[in-house]
Amino acid sequence: MQPIKALLSGAVLVLGVTLAAPTVVAAELQKKLTAESAIEAAMKRGKLRVGMSTFVPWAMRNKQGDLIGFEIDVATKVAQDLGIEVEFVPTAWSGIIPALIAGKFDVIIGGMSVTTKRNLTVNFTDPYAHSGMGIVANTKLAGNLKWPDGYNSAKVTFTCRRGATSCTDTKKLFPKAKLRQFDDSSLVLQEVVNGNAHAVLTSFPKPTLWKNQNPDVLFNPTLEKLTEGNEAFALRKGDPDSLNIFSNWIRVNASNGWLQDRWNYWFKNIEWADQVNLKK
Amino acid sequence: MTAKSFRKRLRLKHAVDAVVIVGAIALIAYLIRQVETVMVYKWHWSFLPEYILRWDEEQQAYAPNLLLKGLAMTFRLAVWSMVLASLLGIVMGIMRTSRRLFPRMISRLFVETVRNMPPVVFIFIFYFFISSQLVPLLGIDEISTKASPEVLDILVVLLGPPELFSNIISGIICLAIFEAAYITEIVRAGIQSIGKGQVEAGEAVGLTRYQVMRWVVLPQAIQRVIPPLAGQFITLIKDSSIVSLISIQELTFLAQEVAYSTQYVFEIWLFVAAVYFCICYSLAFIFGRLERKLSVFRT
Repeated sequence: MQPIKALLSGAVLVLGVTLAAPTVVAAELQKKLTAESAIEAAMKRGKLRVGMSTFVPWAMRNKQGDLIGFEIDVATKVAQDLGIEVEFVPTAWSGIIPALIAGKFDVIIGGMSVTTKRNLTVNFTDPYAHSGMGIVANTKLAGNLKWPDGYNSAKVTFTCRRGATSCTDTKKLFPKAKLRQFDDSSLVLQEVVNGNAHAVLTSFPKPTLWKNQNPDVLFNPTLEKLTEGNEAFALRKGDPDSLNIFSNWIRVNASNGWLQDRWNYWFKNIEWADQVNLKK
Repeated sequence: MTAKSFRKRLRLKHAVDAVVIVGAIALIAYLIRQVETVMVYKWHWSFLPEYILRWDEEQQAYAPNLLLKGLAMTFRLAVWSMVLASLLGIVMGIMRTSRRLFPRMISRLFVETVRNMPPVVFIFIFYFFISSQLVPLLGIDEISTKASPEVLDILVVLLGPPELFSNIISGIICLAIFEAAYITEIVRAGIQSIGKGQVEAGEAVGLTRYQVMRWVVLPQAIQRVIPPLAGQFITLIKDSSIVSLISIQELTFLAQEVAYSTQYVFEIWLFVAAVYFCICYSLAFIFGRLERKLSVFRT
């Protein structure tokens, strides 16, 4: 009997250890994950490091050389709500994802649109912005057209830059209209100003910007977004804590209207243009 | 040759020169006209000075703006990389000419790996794989928070704003290692240009290998490597613009920021080109003087 008893107790012990081990490992892992999260590192440092790249009007340099723009406002408020400082790390766009992965900063708040391909290398929060296409049209040619049905007609000509998303968007939204494609982005606008085309689709805030540059010739049939993109914060993979905090921050500030308010300031108006010496 | 025919030939030469000069001026004028008529570009320069020096309302004084800050960063980057690259290049260059196989192999490996990669590729690989492991080990972030104010002041002059310490140090290391590979070869060529007889003579009178290097070979070699070294330093300054790709906040990077923000792209790049030209030309001038001084010294 004795050897059987020993064997049995041995088996119980082994079973116990194997059952308990995963729970111990999981707890350890959870602790480790929390400690290694970007948010935790930022809180410890007292500073949130934000990777961004200059792009009007998301982030730009004003006359004093300081950073201003939509996502500068966003990142500053995120840090403020976390109770820490913000440090911007201006980064060349082509290397911004590798720089995030190499740990040069905690998060990319850089108007980065969510794509499945990018999502394989980084994690995205909920979208904090929805970039979109707007329209600007020639007053003389298109002033009497009914928005939007009047524009979907064979008599109407749109322009776009070859290969740009505005081409596919125009085809989708106004399938009956003529579409003339140019290789040069300045020609796309010039043709509408010259009265050789009725209208052009372009991403905000350019519809407003172009109208203001040529107030006598151009107008905006609408200031609504015709298509909608999704821009989100990008984080290193395997960091559920930071993902949760940032996503919830975005959700809160989307529902209280703060994000929309900032969007309207930077994308629907161009009152800020003088602060950056923007080309007229 | 009579004086008359000589004068005639001289006149002919002048005539050819004049034709060439007139032709060159005509070509430049044509190009400028083309730019104005074909590009239909409205030049706009008045915004630029503000990005060099700005008026600070709070301090009631002029303060450097982005372009000047970038220029200062480029200077820091260039000076430190030159120092570091020269040191590494001299050590590696001497190793290249060593009699033992091991040092020769090490330096050869270094030169061939670095030299046979395009600068952009090297800089990306180095920055993301090596410097992101190396720089945290140096504890730079702690230096900027723990250093006493006096030390920090000196560091700010040498390296720029504290939050950019690790940024510029990665840039310096990157650039220095890259340029050191070329300097290694220049130094090797310099050392090997000194006749074997001199080395043997030195050894014959009982000098050690170190003494032969220090007193016989290097003094002459340094003189000979100055012209190619000047060329390499000029290349280094121009190559320093490549590190803007890894977001080192130097002149090219900050100029790009201004260009993107204001959309005055041509004006900014023309200005930046002029600045690089001035720096590189002054460097060439200084080295020219140095060369002349050393050659007087020799004779």
